[in-house]
Amino acid sequence: MKHTSTPHDSSITHVTGESEYVDDRTMLAGELFVGCFYLKVAHTEIESLDISEALKIQGVEAVVTAKDVAHNAWGPIFQDQPIIAGNVTEFAGEVLAVVGATTPDALRRGLGAIKVRHRPRPSILSISQAITKKSFIGSERSIRRGDVAQALSTAPHRLSGILEIKGADHFYLENQSAVAYPKEAGQMEVHSSTQHPTETQHVVAEALGVNFSDVVCIVKRLGGGFGGKESQSSPIAAYAALIAKKTKRPARIVLTKDDDMIMTGKRNPFEIHYEVGFDKSGKILALKSQLYSDGGAYADLSTAIMERAMLHSDNAYFIPNVEVIGQVCKTNCHPHTAFRGFGGPKGVAVIEGIIEDMARELKIDALDIRKMNVYREGHDVTHYGQVVENNRLPSVFTELEKTSDYRRRRSEIAAHNRTALAASSRFLPASETLRGLSMTAVKFGISFTTKFLNQGNALVQVHRDGSIQVSTGAVEMGQGVNTRIAMLVAEELGVPLERIRVMTTSTEKNANTSPTAASTGTDINGAAAVLAARKIKERLAALTLKLQNMDPENWPSKTAGLGSYPEIEITDLDDAVTQTSFHANKVEVTGIRGKGKTKGFKIGFPELVNEAYLSRISLGEYGYHRTENLGFDKLKGQGQAFQYFSQGVAASEVEINRLTGDVKVRRVDILMDVGRPINEGLDLGQVSGAFIQGMGWVTTENLVYDREGYLLSHSPSTYKIPSIQDTPREFNIKLDHNPNNLANIRGTKAVGEPPLLLSISVWSAIKDALRYVSERDPSHLAFNRTHLLPIPATSERVLRHLEPSLFSSPAHK
Amino acid sequence: MTPKTRDSVVFSLNGQITHVTGDDSFMTLAEWLRKRALLTGTKIVCAEGDCGACTVVRAFEPRGSKKKPIFEAMNSCITSVLQMDGSHLVTVEGLKVDEELAPAQSAMRICHGSQCGFCTPGFVMAITGALELLPKLDRKTAANYMTGNLCRCTGYSPILDAAESVVSSPKHNLGSRYLTPATIKKLRELTNSTLEIHGSSGPEGHHGKVFYAPQKLADACKASAKHKNSRLIAAATDVGVQANKGKALAPYTISLQNIPELYTITSSSTSVMVGARVNLTQLRTAMTKPMPEFARFLDIFASPQIKNVATLIGNLANASPIGDTLPFLLATDAVVHTARHAQGKFSRRKIKIEDFFVAYKKLALKAGEIITAVEIPTGKYAHNLRLYKVSQRKDLDISAVSAALNIDVNKSGKISLASLAFGGVAATPVRLGKVEQYLLGKTPSTPVFDTASAMIDSLLQPLSDARGTDTYRRVLVTNIFQKYVHNTFGDRS
Repeated sequence: MKHTSTPHDSSITHVTGESEYVDDRTMLAGELFVGCFYLKVAHTEIESLDISEALKIQGVEAVVTAKDVAHNAWGPIFQDQPIIAGNVTEFAGEVLAVVGATTPDALRRGLGAIKVRHRPRPSILSISQAITKKSFIGSERSIRRGDVAQALSTAPHRLSGILEIKGADHFYLENQSAVAYPKEAGQMEVHSSTQHPTETQHVVAEALGVNFSDVVCIVKRLGGGFGGKESQSSPIAAYAALIAKKTKRPARIVLTKDDDMIMTGKRNPFEIHYEVGFDKSGKILALKSQLYSDGGAYADLSTAIMERAMLHSDNAYFIPNVEVIGQVCKTNCHPHTAFRGFGGPKGVAVIEGIIEDMARELKIDALDIRKMNVYREGHDVTHYGQVVENNRLPSVFTELEKTSDYRRRRSEIAAHNRTALAASSRFLPASETLRGLSMTAVKFGISFTTKFLNQGNALVQVHRDGSIQVSTGAVEMGQGVNTRIAMLVAEELGVPLERIRVMTTSTEKNANTSPTAASTGTDINGAAAVLAARKIKERLAALTLKLQNMDPENWPSKTAGLGSYPEIEITDLDDAVTQTSFHANKVEVTGIRGKGKTKGFKIGFPELVNEAYLSRISLGEYGYHRTENLGFDKLKGQGQAFQYFSQGVAASEVEINRLTGDVKVRRVDILMDVGRPINEGLDLGQVSGAFIQGMGWVTTENLVYDREGYLLSHSPSTYKIPSIQDTPREFNIKLDHNPNNLANIRGTKAVGEPPLLLSISVWSAIKDALRYVSERDPSHLAFNRTHLLPIPATSERVLRHLEPSLFSSPAHK
Repeated sequence: MTPKTRDSVVFSLNGQITHVTGDDSFMTLAEWLRKRALLTGTKIVCAEGDCGACTVVRAFEPRGSKKKPIFEAMNSCITSVLQMDGSHLVTVEGLKVDEELAPAQSAMRICHGSQCGFCTPGFVMAITGALELLPKLDRKTAANYMTGNLCRCTGYSPILDAAESVVSSPKHNLGSRYLTPATIKKLRELTNSTLEIHGSSGPEGHHGKVFYAPQKLADACKASAKHKNSRLIAAATDVGVQANKGKALAPYTISLQNIPELYTITSSSTSVMVGARVNLTQLRTAMTKPMPEFARFLDIFASPQIKNVATLIGNLANASPIGDTLPFLLATDAVVHTARHAQGKFSRRKIKIEDFFVAYKKLALKAGEIITAVEIPTGKYAHNLRLYKVSQRKDLDISAVSAALNIDVNKSGKISLASLAFGGVAATPVRLGKVEQYLLGKTPSTPVFDTASAMIDSLLQPLSDARGTDTYRRVLVTNIFQKYVHNTFGDRS
């Protein structure tokens, strides 16, 4: 798996520790530390908020509350959330006041001195309570095809159930942070750890009551985002800006991991009520699925997340009759938000889980059921009416089945489990473990499902030495978007990669940008950058054609300063590009193939650039890209939701300890279609990183709340993301080279989110292991039919599913 | 003769002798590095020693030691500058030689071991620490050295690829670069005195708090007796976490860090005596031969960064119901050695471990009494002793349940030894004497063990918390016990 393709553009400064993150900025004289005050109760009416004692503490310079906020409402879709809560707080961790102090110690004491009198209100802390009380966000949405009721009623086999999927914390290493510098005339410069500089700019401006043009949001890089900084970083930046405005001093907010986990939302928990009909061969006939998500106290991105869950309820499989209904619930939890995969993983888990259960009922290998139902020629239209083009699914299934040695391992696993289950006692060493194997797929739709977000712009500036700066709205958070953009521009202009510098993202250079999200960072911003570079290239090519016919003694570098020769006018820009080749930092006249002749004229790129400057030819360009051919009608649930699909398959083998419920991932094989990759090393890193992140979500990452919806597992001592010891013992990742994705820039496919959904194979492999117990034990079968293994399948839950009787005996109730 | 005292912490930082005085010395090392030394490569994420982003390497030998110090990884976020007195420290900024990347750095770069970069310096430092001990790392060893580092981007494979491809380079070896005889000697001289630092009482300060690190045990005992509100610290890995989470420091802190006798670990044919400042890495080395089961157990708890600092005595004094080593100490009849200064007299005594845990986080210590060592009997305990730890995640996780079980039979096949100790199932770690009494003299059989198992279940009162429900803990205890007897005595049904 070692890869020596071009390293990340920050790789040197990352390993030396010189890479600058928000809190690495040297503190200025007078700069304040900013922190947040919140209550640990779910829903309460504020009777009084007393900040007077806090203000008396030496070192506390300012406290801001709701009344200091000019426009106290924000939200990426609906503006329903206060930046600072006023009369009521709707979740444990909702900010009521923000303190600015000269030292961390004064800040801590200031926060401790704020007094609140409040009267608790009734709260809703689960999806089921919300359903009962009809506490919803947004309206119900549906996607329908065929006649589900009819198909279900005539289906030879049916299964139904309620799948519970819990949330997960992003656990980016760099906690939410921002520094605000007050500038003259009410302007504000904000450095934020955000995936969405434009929204941060807007929220800060509205909080301060100034024009959007008075705020600049700057983002050098993020220490991880994963969706957690798509929307929820904006109010954090506003807190720093409000303190900076009030005190006219720089202000810095850096959340502790505990505050970050308590205050910010997670992956939405889901509860999915479904019924599926199928025939005895394993063909899926109908799926009826009602999805509820816990949106938390405010809308945030939850309705869009729900939409993606509904759009991915088919995953890789053609289902003739489908009814998917989605409704976001309003509860008194922190407002849940984007997390790598958005709603996709939830929709996909349902159908992949169903297939495991079908395998148990029909005694057919789940892989055969998957291959039978996979999207293929003649069965390639999704339930929302989009054709699955450039479909790699059948071939990747077949190939991974072979390369992962699926069938042989299947019989070994069956033998292992037979021995374990046949033993006289489960406490004997030979019977301590059970194994499971499952191969699942992903077909991830690439594009924002909200059409207007699919646009981006870029600024390319060529300097007189031929070096190039590129600025886009993309945010670098480890995924390598800057490296990929640099490689695209270098390829376009034929210059060495080290001549390109992708600059800090700033709303001053690129406005009205979309968040770096939905895996579209390179697609949108890379395409815009290439368009800009292309415009400069056209002019340089035209100049080259002129120069080849001139005596070098008359070139601008010899004459422009004196004005002794007429200035060059460039013409026929389109043609010029086709007659030149930009390669190896040189531009060569190649002529039009088949006609005309070339003198083999060649000029160095830097020299050409200098001639262009002296000829008063612009060396800067702005590129604008919009994704074509999109058209999804959200109200009808039909249309072209995506530009294309990124696809892949994974086979995971797990071993379960029957005494502790502990799960080990023994082997994982992944085959991922990434189109024509720009940088394989970066792509492989996305695949392994996303997979392991998803593996944490489906296994060990367990959010535990108290009765007020206050998060108890708010640090790594209680919230367990995978450690280096949890990586699969054998981990094989291969990229499926697929040159035929014509829909996207340079034939690439997005890779940020899709592989996360492959981690569902770890969960379904646990289900597969449980199936062997059910096969021998009717009471276990009965339990597993009525109790679906939830996500995450923590050790405790796995043990409960293995030995339900131990958890239900009177002594253990 | 009055002892010399000193009011500045002295250590070597990337080869520079550094003095820190007053309030700054109360800062965590990570905060101080970032905000005062402007070395921002060291990151702070969790501030509780769980993620490794703050990893630096430290070399330290107590006064009088003949050993050459060795650089080892540690968490800088949960230690104060005060505790670095006499140490040699290297941060990620100290690795390059003339702009040439160190081996760990270039390998991480080439193998795409870094994505967002925030955890990267910590991983680089963890690998660097390993390379100070070993010339090359295989995949498994590399993983063990990086158990204390979390990464959320890479899925770790590229990091393992990097660590596996690294070869140590003499040019970049930190020991030879920074641990020169001259630096060692100079630092020894500068720190050969009692350290006593007073925080200022201004708004920026620590309100008159005092940190006192004497050179003699007797002085520590005197201070402990005199200052009623004092807090004793060994490595303070837990105190450091609590301070970060907002708990105020004690007004008077007494640190054992400068008392050489507490750094000793001595083995005899019947026991191992572990001094209060012996860290868990050193303990593991000493236990490998006499008690391999305990050495194995030490491999699966805590990170290398913690084990290079934390002490067995700290785990004992903290008295957490889920303290990982405590069931082991209970099951082996360990003996706690203490010292105290009372009525003008210095005295020492021994306390049996079974009498040591009184109630939740309450110990059988008198006012001002200091734990100086723990004596672990070896010999007869080594044979059938098994240690268990069950947690959500296998490594570097606080246990839901832990256990130390030891049952042995005599020549006539009767049970002649039974020690059963559990953690995570009551307010203190517990030893189940009643069940042991029941087992003694019986012939091992399934009915006997089933009865014992039911007795265990009835005696324990686990709680539900973020790590597991009470029911889960009960099921685990039963399963662990049954697993132990089946593994030890086979299938007797």
